[in-house]
Amino acid sequence: MSTPAYTQGNSLWQDAMRRLRNNRAAVASLVFLLLVTAACFLLPLFPFIANPNDTNLDNIAGPCCWEHPFGTDQLGRDLLARVLYGGRISLLVGAVATGVSLLVGLVYGLVSGYVGGRTDALMMRAVDVLFALPFIVLVIVFSLSIEEPVKALTTWLVNTTGWSRESVAPILGLVPLFIAIGALGWLTLARIVRTQTLEMKAQEYVMAARSLGLGHMRILFRHIAPNLLGTVVVYTTLAVPGIMLTESTLSFIGLGVKAPNSSWGTLIKEGADRMEVSPELLLFPSLFFCLTLLALNFLGDGLRDAIDPKSAKD
Amino acid sequence: MIRLLLRRLAQGLLVVFVLETITFFLVRLLPGNPFLGDRKLPEHIMAQLNNLYGLDQPAWVQYLNYWKGILLHGDFGPSLVREGVQVSTIISQAFPVSLEVGVVGMLIAVCVGIPAGMLAAWYRNRWPDALLMLPAMAGICIPAFVTAPVFGLVLGTHVPGLSVAGWDNPLCVVLPALTLGLINAAYIARLTRGGMVEVLAQDFVRTARAKGCGPARLLYVHAMRSGLLPAVSYLGPAFAALITGSFVVETCFQVPGMGLHFVNATTDRDYFLIQGLVFCYGSLIVAANLVVDLVLVALNPRLRSQGTA
Repeated sequence: MSTPAYTQGNSLWQDAMRRLRNNRAAVASLVFLLLVTAACFLLPLFPFIANPNDTNLDNIAGPCCWEHPFGTDQLGRDLLARVLYGGRISLLVGAVATGVSLLVGLVYGLVSGYVGGRTDALMMRAVDVLFALPFIVLVIVFSLSIEEPVKALTTWLVNTTGWSRESVAPILGLVPLFIAIGALGWLTLARIVRTQTLEMKAQEYVMAARSLGLGHMRILFRHIAPNLLGTVVVYTTLAVPGIMLTESTLSFIGLGVKAPNSSWGTLIKEGADRMEVSPELLLFPSLFFCLTLLALNFLGDGLRDAIDPKSAKD
Repeated sequence: MIRLLLRRLAQGLLVVFVLETITFFLVRLLPGNPFLGDRKLPEHIMAQLNNLYGLDQPAWVQYLNYWKGILLHGDFGPSLVREGVQVSTIISQAFPVSLEVGVVGMLIAVCVGIPAGMLAAWYRNRWPDALLMLPAMAGICIPAFVTAPVFGLVLGTHVPGLSVAGWDNPLCVVLPALTLGLINAAYIARLTRGGMVEVLAQDFVRTARAKGCGPARLLYVHAMRSGLLPAVSYLGPAFAALITGSFVVETCFQVPGMGLHFVNATTDRDYFLIQGLVFCYGSLIVAANLVVDLVLVALNPRLRSQGTA
């Protein structure tokens, strides 16, 4: 990877970025994702977006109009505002839970692959066991057992910092969900990272680093981990839709995001219940949700093709 | 081969054992207990109930008794919430239902997914590829809880004879199986396409083509064997998950299968029922992985020498 002195070579990442830019579907997906994120987090700051919890019993399941572009729901709440606020929660859960699972999976896989031998075998059997646990049961058990400590934390925060309970509770209420989904999403990544670490470990440059007397930590995190970046980036983009799907499934069942918060999952649930009467209640949240997942998948595919040219389409 | 099988089997049994142990202690750590109904029970009745089901004993005694029951009598204990019903009865009623939905769903998934993936790989980057892969991508992104109600509304009301809910005639299996099948077909199609594309780019395929091998023989004899590996590894766990029931689909179509019990048992803290269901699910996952490993070894001789898949 050394560049000759007389010409500016392209680095691996520059090549990857070029390939990504040439992938129209991936670029469009990236733009779409940025737009949706901006809409969910910035639009509600403007006054023309109604309060998503303001009910208006004179305008139940109202049609689309200038004032309510997506119409109103069964309690006369503005659907556009609800979709945007729901998107905040869905995107937030997707991002944070992916972050948690990324951290755990990366470190677990690195250690397992690098240490090798019995430790590796033991750590991988543990992953097997967790894989065989029914995901939904584990998430429920997990989030239920974290609920109490989180409530205690909320009370403690309210008492010590003087913040109002209304401002703290909704965010902290999501914490069990973050942890439960994140704590279980890392299994696949751990396996991938371990396989790659095993491969890297056998390469000459690692041996060179070791013969120079570098410590294990330094080799692991400075020499091996950076080479996994491509895999991790691709995996992450493809993992977010899965995690968002888990969150919405849980919310659909009634175990995920709870009132007063709402996510795209809970909105789809509400819409599905009233589908025959007002189909737009199902249509708009599903549309946002599915398009976001679609964009994430296209972006992930594009990144994979860009970073790993071997699997590229052409 | 036999040694590989035996070692895998031993590992599988160990996984099920550890799984059951974790579940046993995990559910008892949950806040609340199975007897917290709408009404708060008096102290002494609670004590009697705990005594009746042996829940007043130390955890490790309960744990030993539980395994004794399973190993000596094949007894998974009683349901704590549904009075007088054995866990084994509940499972033996619900499992055939989920099995039927799962098997039909998997058939749909395989029959749609694999041909679609192979076609797409063959016509890579041309219009049939796009035509097949776009719906496949959509199938991955549209969750079951969107497709289920829509299928129910559109197909259930327009196709005579189809029932949208319940489990009282043979046609009830159609909609839940279709919902599950199409989602899995999407995954299988993508995996098949990926695997086939990789194989079709290899030298031996080019050699075969150069020697005048026709497309059918090339696909089915030369490429399919290793091209299907990714799809096969997906099929095992997916099949196990499918026949133990999907909560979302079973709720949407009111199918009395295992998926419903999974969530209800956990929210009700029905300890014995959760343990029984996890045992069932875990064994199936382990068995499915075992079968997948064997099929992979059969398809890919290179794995044989390594001993592990």
